[in-house]
Amino acid sequence: MLITRPKPIEEILSMLEMFPETSICVVGCGICARKIQTGGEAQVSMMTARLQQRGLDVMDGKMVRHACSTESWDTMVEENPALDKAGILLVMSCGAGVSLLGRLSGKPTLPALDTTSLGSALKDEVLENFCVMCGECGVGLYGGLCPKSGCPKSQVNGPCGGSIDGDCEIWGRECIWIKIYERLESMGMLHLLDGIRPPVNHDRRL
Amino acid sequence: MGFAYVLESGKFVVTAEVSPPRGTDISGALAGAGLLQGLVDAVNVTDNQRSMMRMSPIVLCHKLGEMGFETIMHMTCRDRNRLALQSDLLAAHAMGIRNILAMSGDYPTMGDQPSTKPVFDLDSVQLLQLIEKMNNGYDFQDQPIDGHTSICAGAVANPYARPFGPQLLKINKKVSAKARFIQTQAVFDAALFNEFADVAMHIGIPIIAGIIPIRSAQNARFMNEKIPGVKIPDEAISRMETAEDPALEGMRIAAETIADIRTNCRGIHIMPIGGHGNTRRLLEMCGLVG
Ligand code: SF4
Ligand code: SF4
Repeated sequence: MLITRPKPIEEILSMLEMFPETSICVVGCGICARKIQTGGEAQVSMMTARLQQRGLDVMDGKMVRHACSTESWDTMVEENPALDKAGILLVMSCGAGVSLLGRLSGKPTLPALDTTSLGSALKDEVLENFCVMCGECGVGLYGGLCPKSGCPKSQVNGPCGGSIDGDCEIWGRECIWIKIYERLESMGMLHLLDGIRPPVNHDRRL
Repeated sequence: MGFAYVLESGKFVVTAEVSPPRGTDISGALAGAGLLQGLVDAVNVTDNQRSMMRMSPIVLCHKLGEMGFETIMHMTCRDRNRLALQSDLLAAHAMGIRNILAMSGDYPTMGDQPSTKPVFDLDSVQLLQLIEKMNNGYDFQDQPIDGHTSICAGAVANPYARPFGPQLLKINKKVSAKARFIQTQAVFDAALFNEFADVAMHIGIPIIAGIIPIRSAQNARFMNEKIPGVKIPDEAISRMETAEDPALEGMRIAAETIADIRTNCRGIHIMPIGGHGNTRRLLEMCGLVG
């Protein structure tokens, strides 16, 4: 699941100002953004109302099933005919959804959210920073807890000195390395941490 | 005398820290370091310490080398990818720098340029391995370089970090990546340090304990709150509160800490707040001058 956070409204307004005045359609995404309540029905209508209050020309907001995956623009328009009439799409999805809608529609397509990480939703809890898409997945060697994404300093060979009594000095959460160590210890697999891990091969992402 | 040689000799090591300037004028930093003449085995020069922007330590190390100091240059992985780390290692070697303290580095949001992209392309263990490769005449990709480096690499550890298991995992990797010494974060609580030294005893490389003489109770509280890894005990803070001369009391506390940990470490590293004006006096109080 892609983790998104709302952009400040001022940033959205100043983006909109750069385009000719035309009718804006706020588009939500039925998958990740809906699940974590950054781009579901409620957020789409709230954004629509906020823009209307500022006197902008805003149509009724729309939800698409998945902003990042569809057969074609025609399929999307079939489900939501209003999309075709919009001048600007303001999309409440991850960056991939914004990109696909922009590509397919040929219309100015703007992001209303910031995409921050790959994570999970567990019941009502949003779990961030599960993966930074390093292109060389080694999460299995860390008991399923990825230190490249779960540690702000991407430490792959053990914790930094800022891990105090189990907490990370940077973001006030539990240090991922304490969890990795405890999990592997409880699995009797601490030997997986033996040996020095090499740095990521960034070449693999091209 | 080269720092690697001092480490080998078994002598109780004294090092002290200076920071490059936050501007183009290097004279203050040189004058500050001048106070250490004849007092220390090496001067450490910090690398954008606490993620605060400053001049490159290569320059200050070079200048201090010209003044006759042995230097230990700090090198973080926060600001450089592997290409830049290699360039700077070659530059440092060419400038006569023979000791590097390899560290991951504080996170940028702690400093004065919080929107910086954190690099962390390598971690401190991998940086130590890279230094070892360059000492053997190879680059990161194992291609030969024209002239090898001769760098004595050190690593850092936080004696307060608990639980020990994950910390020792990292320290052991630093040792197998050929760290020649460990320098610790500031020690204010001798008991906690000694507990750490007991479990780290087996690592087989010298441990140099960081020492910060506190200047006032307010300063101590500020450090407890703002500086990662610092834990000044309440007892020390209340001594500072009632002291007539807080700066002197801070030195007494530091001297007592040094006496309490002395048999458990191979040296000390002085990191004063605001200059080395009192460093000679502190070392005299500890019987470490002359
Ligand atoms: S190792 Fe890389 S791909 Fe695997 S979870 Fe971590 S960041 Fe993602
Ligand atoms: S405390 Fe742990 S999670 Fe935080 S930066 Fe250090 S190693 Fe990473």
